[in-house]
Amino acid sequence: MCTLTHRHAIHCILPPYILSRIAEHGPPELRGTAIRALLVDPSIRIVRATTAGPVLGSVARLRSAAGNILTPSPLRTIRDAQHKPEAPGATVVRREGDAPTGDPAADEAYDGLGATFALYWEAYQRNSIDDAGLPLDATVHYDQDYDNAFWDGTQMVFGDGDGALFNRFTLALDVIGHELTHGVTEKEAGLAYFNQSGALNESISDVFGSLVKQKALGQDAAAADWLIGEGLFTPKVKGSALRSMKAPGTAYDDPVLGKDPQPAHMDDFVRTNQDNGGVHINSGIPNRAFYLAATAIGGKAWDRAGTIWYNALLDPNVRANTDFAAFARVTVDVAGRLYGAGSAEATAVGTAWSDVGVS
Amino acid sequence: MADEAGCGGEARMRVEGGFAHLPGRATDSCVPFERLGGDERAELARLADEASFFDCTPQPAAPRPDARTYTIGLTIDGRSRDLQLAEPIHDPRLAALVATVRRITRERGGA
Repeated sequence: MCTLTHRHAIHCILPPYILSRIAEHGPPELRGTAIRALLVDPSIRIVRATTAGPVLGSVARLRSAAGNILTPSPLRTIRDAQHKPEAPGATVVRREGDAPTGDPAADEAYDGLGATFALYWEAYQRNSIDDAGLPLDATVHYDQDYDNAFWDGTQMVFGDGDGALFNRFTLALDVIGHELTHGVTEKEAGLAYFNQSGALNESISDVFGSLVKQKALGQDAAAADWLIGEGLFTPKVKGSALRSMKAPGTAYDDPVLGKDPQPAHMDDFVRTNQDNGGVHINSGIPNRAFYLAATAIGGKAWDRAGTIWYNALLDPNVRANTDFAAFARVTVDVAGRLYGAGSAEATAVGTAWSDVGVS
Repeated sequence: MADEAGCGGEARMRVEGGFAHLPGRATDSCVPFERLGGDERAELARLADEASFFDCTPQPAAPRPDARTYTIGLTIDGRSRDLQLAEPIHDPRLAALVATVRRITRERGGA
């Protein structure tokens, strides 16, 4: 029963079909309210999420009738693996709209997924991983002493670290953005996770992971640290982060973990059978190319530089086996299409790739 | 990997992949059973038996971004096998075996 007097009556719990009728046929002063109630109603959140890309059908007509422009929102679910090697975790600890749990890992994962969703929507008008509102799932507290995070094809999985060398992996916002971006890449170019295409896959995750962090901090390219995984090491480790996009090969040099093996230039490209053909090693080369392009272009890196890289990822010429040189050509083409062939942006992108030895 | 050693065998582990390539971690570890207590040897034998480690059919899996690949090896009572598994390991018995070998090789192992 509707008893609240400080809220409009239409905010009360009405079945969606009644709200739809009001939205479509009701008096003008109630139609917009009905649409907003429909969009807020948890019972249709999944429907909204899955129809918020190219909007079609009755929902689109309803939105159009109400004159509303949809702003998608994430649909997050955080699960707890309770230190077992199980993903998804058995226990749901936070759903979309729930209050913080007080568990730092669960709340950081929730907030990080939200920040990543915000970057993709606000900067590139991409609605979640698949651009169709795919729910965002994450599992935290995976396994014991687990110092890693990964994308398993359906969700992000985060360990708590071993406490000796590594802190929990949700601490680093760019790591969360990195993992979600693997899902975006899988849905778009589908870059094979091996050799140069795999290193490109890794680099794209570092690029957008860093942009998630930069946007959350409101930093421009010159102010950003361009580190990946800053804060993951405990004080026992001699290093600042897992990777540096600005200066690949300098992130750590530690007696236990060894020295950061990333090259910054094609002259130092590493041929190896380890690490799926060096996907986390040679990604330093395209990482630095993005850093050089973004700082040469200036301003917020997610604006022009990020837009160029994002549109390159969506370009049909970028396929599963695309290598550094092919991706470089696409980024230059995209920059030319977006900003002009002789623009400062296109020149900066071409020069950046040339400076890391990719042509 | 190392030869069969005292007390009927050894446990071996190689970990590849992960969010970053850490050269200091990208090494093989091997623990001869003579370095283990009787309870630990019995636990490994029990977990290997429960997971059908020496008889199971490997499930090939494409590498997942940032996921690790474990090459787990056991030599027990003359039987020896090395098996490559990508995470997440969906069989809980194999997952438990990998977790235990990881722990033992990290705590007692050497390259």
